[in-house]
Formats: sequence, structure tokens, C-alpha cells
Amino acid sequence: MKIANFRQMGTLLGLLLIILFFTIQLPDTFLTARNLINVSQQISMLAVVAFAMTVVMVMGDFDLSVGSMASLAGIVAAVLFALGYPLWIGVAAALAVGMLGGLLNGFLVAVVGILPFVATLGTLTIFSGLAFFVSGGRTIFGRDIPASFSGFARSGIPLDSIGLAGLKLPFLSISALVVLAITWVLLEQTTYGRRLYAIGGNREAARLAGVQVTRLRSSAFVLTGIGAAAAGLMYASRVASANPTQGAGLMLDAIAAVFLGMTMGKEGEPRVLATLVGVLILGILDNGLTQMSVDSYVREMLIGAIVLVAVATSSFRRSH
Amino acid sequence: MEFAGLSKLYGPATVLEDVTLRLQPGRVHALMGENGAGKSTFIKLLAGVVPADAMTVRKNGSEVTLRSAADATAAGFRFIHQELNIIPQLSVAENILLGQDMPVRARLLVNWTELARRAKQALAALGVEHINVRRHAGALGTGDRMLIKIASALVSHDGEAPPCLYVFDEPTAALNEAESEKLFAVIARLKEQGAAILYVSHRMEEVMRVCDDVTVLRNGRHVTSVQLAETSREAIILAMTGRDIANGFPARTAHPGTDIVCEMRDVSSATLSKLNFTLARGEIVGIAGLTGSGQTELLRLFLGLEKQTGGTARFEDVDLPSSPSEAWSRGVAYVPQERRSEGLMMHMNVRLNTLLPHYTGWRARRARENIRTVELSKRVHLKAEGPEQSVWQLSGGNQQKVVFARALGSIPRLLLLDEPTRGVDIGAKFEIYKLVRELSEQGSGIIMSSTDLPELLGMCDRILILSEGVQHAIVDPDGMASSDLLQMFYVADRMVTA
Repeated sequence: MKIANFRQMGTLLGLLLIILFFTIQLPDTFLTARNLINVSQQISMLAVVAFAMTVVMVMGDFDLSVGSMASLAGIVAAVLFALGYPLWIGVAAALAVGMLGGLLNGFLVAVVGILPFVATLGTLTIFSGLAFFVSGGRTIFGRDIPASFSGFARSGIPLDSIGLAGLKLPFLSISALVVLAITWVLLEQTTYGRRLYAIGGNREAARLAGVQVTRLRSSAFVLTGIGAAAAGLMYASRVASANPTQGAGLMLDAIAAVFLGMTMGKEGEPRVLATLVGVLILGILDNGLTQMSVDSYVREMLIGAIVLVAVATSSFRRSH
Repeated sequence: MEFAGLSKLYGPATVLEDVTLRLQPGRVHALMGENGAGKSTFIKLLAGVVPADAMTVRKNGSEVTLRSAADATAAGFRFIHQELNIIPQLSVAENILLGQDMPVRARLLVNWTELARRAKQALAALGVEHINVRRHAGALGTGDRMLIKIASALVSHDGEAPPCLYVFDEPTAALNEAESEKLFAVIARLKEQGAAILYVSHRMEEVMRVCDDVTVLRNGRHVTSVQLAETSREAIILAMTGRDIANGFPARTAHPGTDIVCEMRDVSSATLSKLNFTLARGEIVGIAGLTGSGQTELLRLFLGLEKQTGGTARFEDVDLPSSPSEAWSRGVAYVPQERRSEGLMMHMNVRLNTLLPHYTGWRARRARENIRTVELSKRVHLKAEGPEQSVWQLSGGNQQKVVFARALGSIPRLLLLDEPTRGVDIGAKFEIYKLVRELSEQGSGIIMSSTDLPELLGMCDRILILSEGVQHAIVDPDGMASSDLLQMFYVADRMVTA
């Protein structure tokens, strides 16, 4: 039992070691309120996509299209802004596109029965092409983006009252926390979540035990699509522009974060709080290594290696 | 051959304690015991898969060390497991010679002719002629797959001792009657060739027929080793369980009611036809027939998985449910045949596995779920650490009890049982029979399909005999013996095919 606990906690220990390492290496800049708030904002988009990804991975499925969905959602909102539509219409339309994209994924996977890898690889390409088509391949920026939209990412709740003068808890970080809370309630506190885990445990057995597998799988892809679109909006707000490739990097990192988190599951199952640990590991590594002026290519190799080491030690321990 | 003083501890738990077993060439030795008696661990030690804490192995008087699977193979030990891990994409010949050096031509190309010749030779040694070695192994039935695995075990590498011991672990679990017969013929042949055979099985009839000696384990200890000719079925059961449950079926104490739960009039589907029966509250109707006669399909009619195409079918005066989820919500509970693939989420905990069909509303409260799970677990006498334990860690019998606990979640109006005691030891079987009886007395209508004929005769009020999907007869089991029932299967089969 103790060994199992240690295995589950290994990844968390890794996170603490990473924090300790940067605290020693960067004594003046790393463990400061300003930097940590900065990290929380940097990782907020990745976090939202990773939480959304957790929902489908709980069922043993995948969604490779989240990155291009994020780009598409940003483009849709920006194009509508450029056409003079009000803020809420742009945002609502972007989220609706996320929902429809998720519905398409869910239909292909759960109703048609295509492997999620193949189905979402197909929609990845479609969404990406659509983003280029809608935007004409251009980056939409400047006056086309309303100040109220880009202002969202730049503002936050002032923290003067708790003694951090001049600092704000960014709305982006708060958004990620809200998505975390929603996902946690959904997966851990509802019968819906229980059923998703059952589908991940054994789809056929779940079906025979009365779980409406097709319907639930489709709905989970819809949720993931909406999450990806939300992340796309956050990204567009942060850079005050939208271009058809800006979400592309999110997908692999999100999957990596969920995998890192899965090393903490009792039976290797994804849990959204564990996904958060995965996101923090990736985000903090990125932040710390950047501050240490480590070349970005080296950074990529390091992050890839760390994901592999974590997952490998976990599966090794599991099988011995 | 002698295996002496085998001991194995897992943490603080002693799984095997000082067990000794002597095997003689040319004899089939049964290893029996309830689930958790230590049979699987015993085999794992022999196979060198798990290190023993103490073990002496002597072959013809000289000591053999078993530290790895390779040691066991080198010593001439061969293992045929119940899970038939063949590679369906490869040919039969490749499967048989898997792990061997492939015969080659020009140092590079596979010599298919030679490969086929060697494979045929291995099969011929078993007296098997009907399998084409060039076919894809995936196209073969379960019985033939078993024969391939045995043939494969027969082949030995250069420099290895020829096989001298075959260990069969529940070999007939997935075989039908005809396939089992073929297997028994092969075992007889191996015996003639002078091999020692260790035969692990729950099935008493089979053991009485195939084996010469028997060793019984209970709670990791050696209870007895005797020649089968000198013992009886009852004595073996007593040795296995430590209690006398030879008369294994709980008697009915109440009579089935007169309210009808379901009614079938000339019902047919893609694979079934001419179903005509009624099921009253508290009644147990058995479904019998040769393997694959449509038993599972009949049960699945009530889950909406087998679509009704004709006739009138009524469940509580309305149409049959159209999906499993509708079925459960209308009070149908289902215990599927394949516990691992259809019944359980093996890597999930007892709680989720037990409560899954009974979740209502959207709020899931863990504390409440745990209380409910403990309650249901108690009713089925589940031996588990608690609601949080993963199901794969439980023994087969306890896993089946989890499936039953799920069925009990609400008192089912219709309980569908497909092979409810397959792969379950005698002690757990008895508890399951008691549960089924209890449910019937509380008014559940029960349809139970089984290939265990004494079980059908002991539990059911009426038995429906199926043959190739057609209802052949409904009989009253009172005063019938297994052989009578078996006789009827073959008669039914002839009538349908004629």
C-alpha cells in the first residue's frame, strides 16, 4: 500500500523537486509572487485545453483536434469582431463552433465508430483548413480586435489587499481555475463522471450495465470542443490578435500533461487534479528554463524527456 | 518427479505453505481446490514466473532449479493456460513454431514448406489431422486454438529436455463438449507417450473422467493426495471446502407466484425462433442446449441487444426493453457470461462496478455510495478490502460476487443469468445458488442459462431446451438426471437438422 502511494506521489514529488531546483538556481526571480502569477497566466490556456482533454481521456479516448479548434475559435471571434459584431456575439459564436466541432468528433467516434485517433486527426485538418479559409490566411489584429476583448487578458483582481501591491490575479488564471472547478465537479462529483470512468474501464461492460455509451461519448467530445474553443478565445485575447495556427502547440502539451497526471492515478486513470500537476510541471519547466536562458530547442527536448521518464517509471513500477 | 516444500508468501499473507506434490510419468494428476486455495500460485512457481520462498524440485532423483521461465522450459515443463494467446494474423504453422528459429532457405528467406512440415508433425503427434497448418490461426475455433497451443508446447528447442510434464490450467473453461472430447483424446495420447500431466480444473465430472490421481489444496496447504479410484466425489468436495456441501442446491421454500413477469408467444429474432414460454414471479426458468444454441441471444432479447422480429413478447405487460439502459431502469438485471470482458471494469473499484446501473440523478456522493456498496457486498458475502479495492485484485469467485451485488442493487423484477457460476469454486458456487434462490423467493423472475447441467436441474422450476435457436421443449426437471437432459439435447439437435 505504501509503495503504491509512493508511486502515485512520485510525479508530485517531481514537481516539488523542479520548484526547488529553480528556487536555488534563480534565487531572486523564480519564487516571487510576480513570477508565480506570471506562470499562472502563461499556463492558463494549456490548462484549459488539458482539463478538457481529461474529459475524453477518462473514457480512453483522445482528441487531437483541440489545437486547431482553439485556432478556429479565435479566428471566428476575430472575424466577427472585424465585421463589427458586438463582443458577446463573437464569443458566443466561437464557443458554438467549439460545440459543433465537438459534436462532429463525437458523432464520428461514438456513432460512426471511427478510432478517435483517426477521426480527430481528420477533424484537426478540417478545422485548421477552415481557420485559414475563414481568415483568408491572415492574422487579424489591431483595430479589428475590440479593446474590451483584449483588455480581459490584461486585467485581473488587484491583490493589494493581501499585501501584494501593484499585482493582479489575472482573469485568464481565474478562467482556468473556473474550468478546473467545473471539470472536477463534473468528473468527481456527478453520476455523469462516474459513467465516463466506467466507459474508460470497459466500454462493453458499461453498455451491458445500462450506460448509454454512444450518447455519453458524444457529449464528452462536445465538452472537450467547448473547452478548446474557450482556450482559443483566451489565447486571442492575450495576444490581442488571431491567426489560424496559434493554437497548434496546445494539443501535444495538453496530452503530455494528462499523461503526466495519469502516473498519479491509482490504476493509471486520468484525474483532473492530477492533470493540473502535469500542467504545472510543463509550465514551470518552461518558465524556469526560459529564465535560465536555456535555448528553446533544448527546452523542448528536456520536456519531452521528462514526460517519457515520468511515464516510464510509472509503467515500470506498475508492471513489477 | 517431485515438488517438495513449496512455500510462497505475498507480504504477510502465506499463499502456499509447505506443499508437496509427486507426479508420475504416464499419469494424469488433478490439482484441485477452491479459488484462493493456491493453485495458481503453485503453477506460477513451477513455471518459474514467480520466485518461491522455498521449493525443492527433483526430476528422476536429481535436483532442478527453477529461477525463470527459461529454466522451467529447459527442464521440460510445458504450460497450457486457459487464455489462448495465439496470434490471429499468423498462420497455424507459425503459431505452433513461435519462439523457434524459423527454417530458412538461402540464409534469409523463410522455408515455408519445412515450416508446414514441422507444424504438421507436431499436430500429428497429438493425433490431430483436421487442421490446415497454412490457415490463419484467427479463423480457428477455440478448441482448435487449444490444440495449437498444445502442439506448440510439444515442440522443443535444440538442447532442451524433451517435454516431460504438461500443466493444463482450466483447459476446458472455454471449450464446448465436442472440443473438450478432442482435448481429452490428446491428453490420453500424451499420457501414453509417458509424460506426466498436472490437470487443474474446477469441473468434478471432468476430473473424475480424465485423471488418475488428485491432490487437494485448501488455504495454501496440502490436504490430501490420493488415487481417484480410491476416493469419491463427495470426499474431494469435503477436502476442498472443509465442509459438507455435496448436496449443493438450496431447496425452494416458497412456491413461485402466479403473476406473469414475461410472456413469449412465437417470438423470433435473427437467430431465434418459436419461443413460447411464460415466466412467473419467483420462478426460475433454465435455458439449456449444446454450446452456441442461442442461449445468450435469448437472454439478450430482454436487453434490446437481440432484436425481436416476430411474435408477441411482453415484459410486465409492455414491449421488451429496447436498450440495456432501458432494461435496467425497468428492473431487468443481467449477469453476463464473460466476467472479464462483459461483466466488469477490471481496473475500477468495487464501488463503481457494483453501483453503475443504479446511479440516478446527477449528484454522486462518495460516502453514500460506499455505504450502499458495503451493504450489497455483505449480502453476497464478498471478500474484499472495501469499496475502494480494484476488482482485478479479487479472486474469480469474488469478482462474480461483485457482478451479483450489482444485480441485487435493486431487487430485480427479471434477473438474467448467463453461466452464473463459470470459473467459480465450489464454495462460492453454493453461495451464489443461495442468492439466486433468495431472489426468487423475494419474487424475481429468473432466466438462467447454463452448461452445468446439475446446476440447471438443481435450481430450475422448468428447463427450456434450445437447439440452433429453436425452442425444442420445456421440461420439468423433477426426477431428471444430467444424462436425461443431455440425451434431449442430441435428440433436439437431430430433429432440427433433419
